[in-house]
Amino acid sequence: MDQDELLENEKVEKILSPHPLSFIGLQSLCIFLIVWGVLIGWLVNFSDFANLFGSNIWLPTLVWGIVLLVVGVVASLLTIRWRIFFLYLGVFVGGIGLMFWMSSLESAGIFIPFYTVAISIIGFLIVELYRRSHKYIISSQRIVFKGGVITKEERTLRYDKITDINYKQGILGQIFGFGTIIPISQSGFGLGNDTAFAAGGVQLGEKKAKFLGLFGGGKEVQTPRTRSYYELHGVHPYKEVGKIVENLVQGNVITPYQQEQVAFQKEQVDIQKQMRDLLKKQKNAGEDKPSDEK
Amino acid sequence: MGSAIDVIIFAPLAPIFGVILFWFIQLLFIESQKYFLSKIRDNHEPLCRFTNFLGILFQTTCHALGYTVTKSGISSFYISVNYGKVAPKKEKKGIFEWMSNTFLFIGPFFIPSSLLLICLPFLMDHGFDIASTTGYTFSENLIAFGTNLYIFSEGFVSFLSSIDLLHPAHLGFFILLIILGLGTRPSSIGEKKRERVDMLYDLKNIRYNILHKPLYIIILFLIAYVFSYASLLLKQNWYVALFSIFGWLSIIAIVSLMVAHAIIILIKATDEIPGFWKFIPYITIPVSYLLMRTLFFFYPFGTSKCISLLVMIISTVLVIFLLLKYQTNKFKTKIDMKSLMKLGEGKKDGSR
Repeated sequence: MDQDELLENEKVEKILSPHPLSFIGLQSLCIFLIVWGVLIGWLVNFSDFANLFGSNIWLPTLVWGIVLLVVGVVASLLTIRWRIFFLYLGVFVGGIGLMFWMSSLESAGIFIPFYTVAISIIGFLIVELYRRSHKYIISSQRIVFKGGVITKEERTLRYDKITDINYKQGILGQIFGFGTIIPISQSGFGLGNDTAFAAGGVQLGEKKAKFLGLFGGGKEVQTPRTRSYYELHGVHPYKEVGKIVENLVQGNVITPYQQEQVAFQKEQVDIQKQMRDLLKKQKNAGEDKPSDEK
Repeated sequence: MGSAIDVIIFAPLAPIFGVILFWFIQLLFIESQKYFLSKIRDNHEPLCRFTNFLGILFQTTCHALGYTVTKSGISSFYISVNYGKVAPKKEKKGIFEWMSNTFLFIGPFFIPSSLLLICLPFLMDHGFDIASTTGYTFSENLIAFGTNLYIFSEGFVSFLSSIDLLHPAHLGFFILLIILGLGTRPSSIGEKKRERVDMLYDLKNIRYNILHKPLYIIILFLIAYVFSYASLLLKQNWYVALFSIFGWLSIIAIVSLMVAHAIIILIKATDEIPGFWKFIPYITIPVSYLLMRTLFFFYPFGTSKCISLLVMIISTVLVIFLLLKYQTNKFKTKIDMKSLMKLGEGKKDGSR
């Protein structure tokens, strides 16, 4: 954070970035590509099925693509993120396009593993670039969240505006000592929804008369969730950072006791003001009296 | 056939003793692993946490399995890096409580290895043959048990010595073997010890069960004896075969612990090497193996996989030795040290 970005009397307590393993969800997409790339290379070239794959030039591409897309669908359904499927679809379509362009369909057994591993390496680099774009500045007055590779996002949160703090630490985080801290603001920034939906369909009747009915229902649960550049995502050392944030929030928020004290002091000031006014009135009355006597 | 007393009283004990012996060896290896882990803890806390987590994971899963088998149900299941807890829905007493405790107590030793044992028939050519018994005496049973274990060990070791690390299934098995070895039991190193689970804890547990719940031990022995007599009457070797499976599981666990030891020792040795040099042994492992495999790909050889593994191990050890010798003060001979000390003293005198 530059000096000119700091406010008056503001002091930077800590500058943080996400832990290298905190984006394991994205990294695992690349890990799968590496594993599958190596596995398909072995299956097509060295395994007992090598002859089978060699008999048909389309077979390696077909098997590679089907597994890629099936895994994409399963991962998308589990995480409710269709971008995973589209990502793998993109990898598949890109691979096919490249094979046609390079006229290397016959050597798919060599091209596909190299292409898959190369794509996964590029994926790793992009994830790393994305991770490095994150910066969290914990100052004495606020938390500044910065992130984004192309579009730069920034969020500033004053401690007195924080209503809740959510702490999250997965198994990997427990092992390596990192975790995610989501400060939830009064406006609800930092909250997301988990939605469950169930639906069913009914079709009645024979060839001509048909009846189609649908029924369904949904449930919503509010849960702390936000983008990685709006939260303290995968910060290390997790416990220490959590303590710093908690102390700063406590230091900036008026506790009930303090509120009582402020109200009491206000009352005192009001009484003093009333007394001052009375004294003024008395003084004025005293000054007026001799003039009357004259 | 031996004497009636031998056949009726002593013969069923033979495989039980064999399993107990192997179980003790397993316990000793676990204790030794804990010692080595404690030595590298300062520099590798995440690794220690990982091993602890694996141990807790296996232990908690076994505990949950125990409650499921005894139909006690599971009301809560909590697992973290340093603590695991399973609570039953119904607190069952008697034999059910004892059974679920047995799962917690013995499960972590045998259930993870059983996962590997399930994989082994698909990977090993031989080693699952069961030796037949004729005499059903103590010594005959012990010999049959030993023979079964020998046949399995021979097959398992020959598989491991020629394991193809470029074969996905073999590589997967090897990774599982390492994970199992690292997490046979929670190490609880550097963590707040809620309940110390070590060799002494196990022995205390046995003592407690023998003293306070002798009935269950008697029932267990009774079942073993009945099974033994049934095998004898039907002239089958089922009894020894059953205990041989436990022996196989112990052997798998011991081998996995040995592999885990080698990895921990490698980490410990490389910790002493300064700077970038410490990564050289880790680079040597895949590079040497791949080089050898590439060489044997062009010049095929009967035992190429075994030789590749040997070259990989020898070259890694050699690299570590050389790095320790030339990059650290390790392996400095006394004479060298003396001459260095003299040189130092001479310098001091000169400076005066």
